[in-house]
Amino acid sequence: MEKNYYLGVDVGSVSTNLVLMDEDYMVCEKLYLKTSGHPVETLKNGLMRMAGRFGSSVKIRATGATGSGRQLAGMLIDADVIKNEITAHAVAASSIEPNVRTIIEIGGQDSKIIFLKEGIVYDFAMNTVCAAGTGSFLDRQASRLDIPIEEFGRYALKAQNPVRIAGRCAVFAESDMIHKQQTGHCSEDIIAGLCEALVRNYLNNLAKGKNIEEPIMFQGGVAANVGIVAAFEKILNKKIIIPRYYDVMGAYGAAILAKEEIERSGKETCFFGFESINDNFDVKSIECKDCSNMCEVIKISSNGELKACWGDRCGKWGALPGKVSIRN
Amino acid sequence: MNIGVPRGLLYSKYHVFAETFLEEIGAKIVVSPATNKLILDEGVRYCVDDACLPMKVFHGHVSWLKDRCDAMLVPRFIGIKEKEYICPMFCGSIEMVSNNIPQLPCLIDTPICSTQNYKLSQWAKKTGSVLTKDENKIMAALDKALQRHGNSKTGFNDEGYPLKIGLIGHAYNIYDKFINMDLKKKLNGLGIGIITSEYINGADIADEAGKLFKKPFWTFAQEYYGAAVCIIKTKKADGIIYLSSFSCGIDSVVIELIKSETGDFPFMVLKLDEHTGEAGFDTRIEAFADMLKRRCGIGHNLS
Repeated sequence: MEKNYYLGVDVGSVSTNLVLMDEDYMVCEKLYLKTSGHPVETLKNGLMRMAGRFGSSVKIRATGATGSGRQLAGMLIDADVIKNEITAHAVAASSIEPNVRTIIEIGGQDSKIIFLKEGIVYDFAMNTVCAAGTGSFLDRQASRLDIPIEEFGRYALKAQNPVRIAGRCAVFAESDMIHKQQTGHCSEDIIAGLCEALVRNYLNNLAKGKNIEEPIMFQGGVAANVGIVAAFEKILNKKIIIPRYYDVMGAYGAAILAKEEIERSGKETCFFGFESINDNFDVKSIECKDCSNMCEVIKISSNGELKACWGDRCGKWGALPGKVSIRN
Repeated sequence: MNIGVPRGLLYSKYHVFAETFLEEIGAKIVVSPATNKLILDEGVRYCVDDACLPMKVFHGHVSWLKDRCDAMLVPRFIGIKEKEYICPMFCGSIEMVSNNIPQLPCLIDTPICSTQNYKLSQWAKKTGSVLTKDENKIMAALDKALQRHGNSKTGFNDEGYPLKIGLIGHAYNIYDKFINMDLKKKLNGLGIGIITSEYINGADIADEAGKLFKKPFWTFAQEYYGAAVCIIKTKKADGIIYLSSFSCGIDSVVIELIKSETGDFPFMVLKLDEHTGEAGFDTRIEAFADMLKRRCGIGHNLS
């Protein structure tokens, strides 16, 4: 018998992730791709690779999109559910560890902390406009020190004497690191100091006054950094669980949400198959000049036919005929 | 004589008063339009970089009006209640606009302190003298303005939504649909109604603010803190969103004070700044809505 699968995509600032999940919530395939500033191409590329591996032998019963690019992704795959990252991460974590109380999620541009009680999100916090302590910053420091990002964390573990780095601001942290390096501290100690500074900054920004209870799950691309994990364990003095699919938990959550949505509504999926990725999607940004708001409107068309618009404040573009409603 | 009234800062709170007064003494009023991209861009261009967003927006409104009126009303707000003050930026707003924006018309910048009637009369006489020498006319205009102001009601108290949140924050953030990216519409679209501090009993607000170890200097700080605590204690709403502009000093204190009282009550701070990208804003609002729905057991069970 043909098996049912669920597709979850998470289009983030740095990575675009895809997960193919089966009826039993098992991850059958996961892809972690760098968005590299081209969400549409990256997503297409990901779908193409999924199609190459599974082709038409799988039946996709539902799809879900999340991440900061969820509207765009949701449009491209005609997702059955489009959800924010907080809900997606919480759903994914509690399906792996139903008792999870705290989720630490650090991605490319965002960092979040989510508190759960009996499987329900009861509080969360997200970093404000500042990106200090997120994956992008670590990426940048790794390349500045000429160390592959995959190795970065391991350097921290080799430190004898972590130095103190100001972690409040990415710009200051960088100049602080340069000062330390110029006075002769070794890379290992500086990197370990940076990891601790970022964790301190994260906890001060997001978890001030909050009770971080176990089990604690650490998700997002930065969870791969053993230096950061060690710094969290050291500062919190608690055990950190890294789920097996830590880097694609958002996409996994989107797949679970898609399954629940389709089971609840009893509808057929809107997904039109991996073949649709061959469609010629065109994303254009225009500045609407009809009023003084001058909204930056995004127009998405497929094979020359306008499929969706957003970004307008008045709703005129969003309500164009033929437009698929994608806002929640 | 055309008198310009910038639609910024405390306009939403006091426009009925200001407009009635000016009209009654025979002025023709020109109000700048609702904030738009042009106004924001102009404001950012003229204003000092480290001022808050509402102050930049105010600069934009002043700039829009400068060639469209003969004089402009930019009162120097000092206080509304005895021994209380408002944000010090308001005190310096006249110097900021007059030094930053070139070729301004005459500014009507008489200090306004509405703590006592005679102070308000002084303001009225001085402001009114720009247009008329008839003191009786001015005093009649002031009476009418105060009366209309007293009868006007701002604020939201939505009914008929499955969920309700208290939306707390400065009026110029809550009522400016452009800078808050039409937060009310977004929340309503997610099935969430709004209640604002105007709909919380004033005596209860004062009562809660009075319980603090020290009464805050700022009128608005007391109002927002008191309103938030009332909502938490009386469960008038399912959660609170505090709308704050980046770098606001008063908010930084009020938010911490509220946090010390929230306990398990859902509370979220939304920060506003020049960015018009809505993705981060939407993520927070949607996640907050999801959280409330699940906590209140509304909607489908997702987990």
